[in-house]
Amino acid sequence: MSQEAQARAVGRTGLSVCISLLIFALILALNPLPFLSPVAEPAAVPAWATDPTPVRHPKLAPEYQAGVFTFRCSDCHKLFPPPAQNTTRTVAQHQEILLKHGINTWCLSCHHPDNRDAFVDDRGDEIPWNQPQLLCSKCHGPVYRDWQHGSHGRTNGYWDKTQGEQTRRKCIECHDPHQPPFPPMRPAPGPNTLRMGPQDVAGHGTTKNPLKTAGRAGSKSPPPGDAERGH
Amino acid sequence: MKHAESQKPESSKPEVTRRGFFAQGMAAVAGASAVAAAMSPLRHLTSGDIPTLEEFFQKHYKEMTAEDKEQVFNRIRTAVGKRYRTEVNLADPPPMDGVEFVYGLNLSRCIGCRKCVHACVAENNQSRAPEIQYIRVLEMEKGSIDVETSDHHYDPPLVPNPDKYYMPVQCHQCADPPCVKVCPVEATWQEPDGITVIDYDWCIGCRYCEAACPYWARRFNFTEPEIPADQLNPNMSYLSNRPRQKGVMEKCTYCLHRTRVGRMPACLEVCPTGSRKFGNVLDPDSEVAYILKHKRVYVLKEEVGTIPRFFYYFDERGSRYAEPIAPADVGGDA
Repeated sequence: MSQEAQARAVGRTGLSVCISLLIFALILALNPLPFLSPVAEPAAVPAWATDPTPVRHPKLAPEYQAGVFTFRCSDCHKLFPPPAQNTTRTVAQHQEILLKHGINTWCLSCHHPDNRDAFVDDRGDEIPWNQPQLLCSKCHGPVYRDWQHGSHGRTNGYWDKTQGEQTRRKCIECHDPHQPPFPPMRPAPGPNTLRMGPQDVAGHGTTKNPLKTAGRAGSKSPPPGDAERGH
Repeated sequence: MKHAESQKPESSKPEVTRRGFFAQGMAAVAGASAVAAAMSPLRHLTSGDIPTLEEFFQKHYKEMTAEDKEQVFNRIRTAVGKRYRTEVNLADPPPMDGVEFVYGLNLSRCIGCRKCVHACVAENNQSRAPEIQYIRVLEMEKGSIDVETSDHHYDPPLVPNPDKYYMPVQCHQCADPPCVKVCPVEATWQEPDGITVIDYDWCIGCRYCEAACPYWARRFNFTEPEIPADQLNPNMSYLSNRPRQKGVMEKCTYCLHRTRVGRMPACLEVCPTGSRKFGNVLDPDSEVAYILKHKRVYVLKEEVGTIPRFFYYFDERGSRYAEPIAPADVGGDA
């Protein structure tokens, strides 16, 4: 090969390298295909979802609120004689109470007939108002046993009682004594993780969720931002 | 001109033809684009992606002396405090003597409200986007223990669905943990109180442990975790809830920054039904000891031999009055 041809070949190679580098630099600078992050906006979590307070806040006192006045139960009930056996309420008081508690069909199944500040036990004696669990244990033996040992009911605070205070919740702090089943509640937002939940990739209106079966995705694919539902 | 004839076949080759020019041009464009595309992630490099010398030469947690630890903790306090503009209380509570933690979960009482999931995220500084959650609540078919038919995307207006039951799954803190066995760099290990922990600064992000875990309890940080500054929990510990970095694994630690100082884990504190029970199984008077002794206990995937420290248990039939009771049972022992 002649010197001339060799020089030309080198020149051509050099030129193509330069052009390649130029294109490379141009692509890096112009960034024609920007990176689309599949990470969605953080899902909104309602404040109640992280609130540790119990579902019920009973007064834990034999008191009745009428407008601005607070009465002890006995304030009124010492004036009235106890009703005859198995009558339902006749007075227009306590209409907010809906009694739906199994075989207990009237007030004096639990409330003491003579002292309305107390509950009644199986022999007609008084159970103090601040010991409602003794009343519940009349019928709910196994649950009471489990509650005494801590396998039923809420225990909060410190597991190690030597280091701090432990709170045991009484029956009526979770259960309404007049309608005892634990009330159904709204669930907190479900998972929306990268490979699990409905995922709107960079707002393109598509969900890329390989784990979701076709049937379910087709029937009820929540729209983007659905995780905010639950306010 | 005498060698013109012999030169002819050679010189015709380097001749630039139209086809050759386009082919070479296209190849050059394609090659350059490919290289540019491959290098474009460098565009997003920040100073945080390159470790400092100090970070690079940081020792494994178990090999650090007390002074090393204090130095590292101070560095983390400064870095996290600067990033989230807050005072950081970073501790490193040691395991307590004579304590082995065990979790109990009452399947008869769980209503699937998912409050534990979100309380855990708030407590343990998981990434909000992408979302990382340690607890997964499975909606199970009644009468079945088959997790394959379960659903964790359930979203009815109200829970519980009377035809289902709910099984929250999180790290089971196994006594024979497969995740620890597969770690090639010993970045994860089991502590004396039974909690399996990770040294986030030693983890290389190979995700072997995620594959080994039969409970899908480990999570990977695919991107830099994002936590809004006002939602950061400033009470943190080195081995549990300090903010993680991109490319490392994380998992439930039974909130060791709380439980090693005697407190209950966050998921238990928020549970509205009292389904969650936690304590020291070595203490015979503890709630969990009573549950293991007296209740019917179920271990998830017992056959894989991981010996979990997480026990699901049940109540007697008929102790839930929301469920219909056969007439013969009315007035029975329940």
